[in-house]
Amino acid sequence: MEKVRERCLTGIEALDNILNGGIPKGNTVLITGSAGTGKTTLSIEFLVHGAMKGEKGLYISVTEASEKLLENLIVYDFFSKEMIQKGIIFIDIPEIYEKLGMNKLQFSMEDINLLIENIVKIVTEFNVKRVVIDSITSICYRLQTEEKIMEFILRLSKALSELGCTTFLVSELLPSAKGYSQYGVEEAVSDGIILLGNLERRGDLLRTLRVVKMRGTSHSRATYVLDITSIGILLVPLLKGGGELI
Amino acid sequence: MNSEEFQKKLKTYQEPLSISVSVSLSNYFDIIKYILDDFSNNKNIPIIYISATIPSKSISTVLDVYGIDSKKIFFVDCISHIMMSSTTYTDRTVFVESPTMLETIMLKAEYILNKYVMKNSLVIVDSINSLAIHNDMKILSEFLHLFVTYLRSRSAYFIILSMKEQSNNEISNILNFVSDEILEVE
Repeated sequence: MEKVRERCLTGIEALDNILNGGIPKGNTVLITGSAGTGKTTLSIEFLVHGAMKGEKGLYISVTEASEKLLENLIVYDFFSKEMIQKGIIFIDIPEIYEKLGMNKLQFSMEDINLLIENIVKIVTEFNVKRVVIDSITSICYRLQTEEKIMEFILRLSKALSELGCTTFLVSELLPSAKGYSQYGVEEAVSDGIILLGNLERRGDLLRTLRVVKMRGTSHSRATYVLDITSIGILLVPLLKGGGELI
Repeated sequence: MNSEEFQKKLKTYQEPLSISVSVSLSNYFDIIKYILDDFSNNKNIPIIYISATIPSKSISTVLDVYGIDSKKIFFVDCISHIMMSSTTYTDRTVFVESPTMLETIMLKAEYILNKYVMKNSLVIVDSINSLAIHNDMKILSEFLHLFVTYLRSRSAYFIILSMKEQSNNEISNILNFVSDEILEVE
């Protein structure tokens, strides 16, 4: 009989159903898509639902100051600012870089080790169970070579998984991109890929979601249309009327 | 059936089901009034009104004239945006950019159902003919099939209005497929 892995519920009911009961606990999942597809919103909702269950979350902001991010974030009916302050730790990565003296444009292997150690230290100290790095693409930019990117993601994933953490790596894609990540390596080493997209159909622009891969569970690979609402992300199956994912 | 028989028939519905109601242009507003009056005032069931024919604002105005409290009705308005009408966002009205965004119509209905936790509710589509103007039949039948299945799972009544003067065989076939009952009102 197939052994069922413990699950980490995203709290987005339809997504948990698509994943047959949630993300296998400890998985590192690439949340990938072009601008405006809902990657950050999905990731924050994942942390918020964790916080509601008493699972501490860590949001590492790479591209945007977390204060600004929180200001622009959709106001959900089901959480308060106090709950966020209590249940989610927001860290802007420039602060870590500064603290660790990592002010070079290109990181060495030593820098990578230092960064991983620091993230693991925070996760251990606060007993974090859900991590979001937004975005991994910006960190990869400083790693530059495929080898370093692979080493970074593999080692970070392993360390966080051993601590019982389920991790979202947010990946930025150009609308014209063919793969699922900018450097091609991120998608290969992640346990799962959730692709968010914009579907243009007869002049309408629909937000879409597809689980491309998820180790440790069977799942639907169909495309769903996504709506960001005050009660969270809602999904319905995409009607088959033609159109290309862009 | 005539209008009187239709009103009596509405009163007999006690369990959620999917009904298509064929109306003519001359009795269109009367039929809407009977439906809303019965479900909202008599059965006290919340209503989600998907307006693809006339902007929700205009329907609200007509309902006020008829003495039906439109505050009990939630609107999913999918026509105001493409008509470039002014759209006033309220707690009870959500807008869909275009009647071609059929998935978004489902999402907005789901949003209202989830947000206001309606165990028993009525969802009205006004009308299949307006949606048929903007969508091809294949995607429209797929939409109604999915939507009716979803609403059954939520124990919701579902009424699809169709305009007799604008109907055709394809629309009739879709309605036959998704409806538990088909009513024609003269």
